[in-house]
Amino acid sequence: MDRDLLLDRRSFVRIGTLALAAIVGGARSLGAAGPDELTDEVKKVLAQHFGMRTIVPGHVTLDVPDVAPDSREVPIFIEVDLPMAPDNYVKAIHVLVDHNPDIYLAAFDLTPDLGSAAIDTRIKMRRSSHVRVIAETSAGELWSASRMVYTTLNGCV
Amino acid sequence: MPSTIGEATILLPQQIARDAVINVRAILTHPMFTGMSRDPQGSLIPAFWVNEVVVRYGDREVARFQWTSGISRDPYVAFALRATHEAPLTVTWKDTGGGVYSKTADIKFSA
Repeated sequence: MDRDLLLDRRSFVRIGTLALAAIVGGARSLGAAGPDELTDEVKKVLAQHFGMRTIVPGHVTLDVPDVAPDSREVPIFIEVDLPMAPDNYVKAIHVLVDHNPDIYLAAFDLTPDLGSAAIDTRIKMRRSSHVRVIAETSAGELWSASRMVYTTLNGCV
Repeated sequence: MPSTIGEATILLPQQIARDAVINVRAILTHPMFTGMSRDPQGSLIPAFWVNEVVVRYGDREVARFQWTSGISRDPYVAFALRATHEAPLTVTWKDTGGGVYSKTADIKFSA
């Protein structure tokens, strides 16, 4: 290799930062409109829990970081803008992570007594993955949101 | 890592008005081992996690959570609750080792 092309440490760091910014920027645009293919494993888990019922994007706000610095503790905030009335309410919030050993991570069973369907917790992620949230109503409707989360430190603890 | 398992905390707003939807925060010290991590000697640490959480308000069960080991260590969860009456709020965590941990906080209205 031509010695003149060798990078000194500073320019290497600068290029690295630009590359990371490009990856993160790409992630944002992907998350917004890009392909969001379900893997066969995720399809299987969805079929186990919801059969052939239709899952429609909407009514669910999923707030997760685009990039999680610590994949052992990824903050996740979920809010569902549907009624919590005695005869019409969000009876469960389901959380799935495509690339975790347990894809189906948690279920939060709710009642109208809560007044609002909102959950805030912290989850583990084995690696970069889509996080999916499905809100199930007492009438049997399924509403969803999904977001891609990039992890910078991988591993299971 | 905390040396103890099962220390529970419930955090409520300082002021609660009747019929307000409040934010309840609950945290438990627990390792939440997946069964896939190793100790410093390289041996697998057996799976051990909180798999169920039950929330009771007065004489009613108002929420129930089913968890896997994908919830982070020292599991934290916050949820909404409509404060319709003055009554104890109890959160009970159960783990895969048969452990049961419980904490109660009183819902009281500000004068």
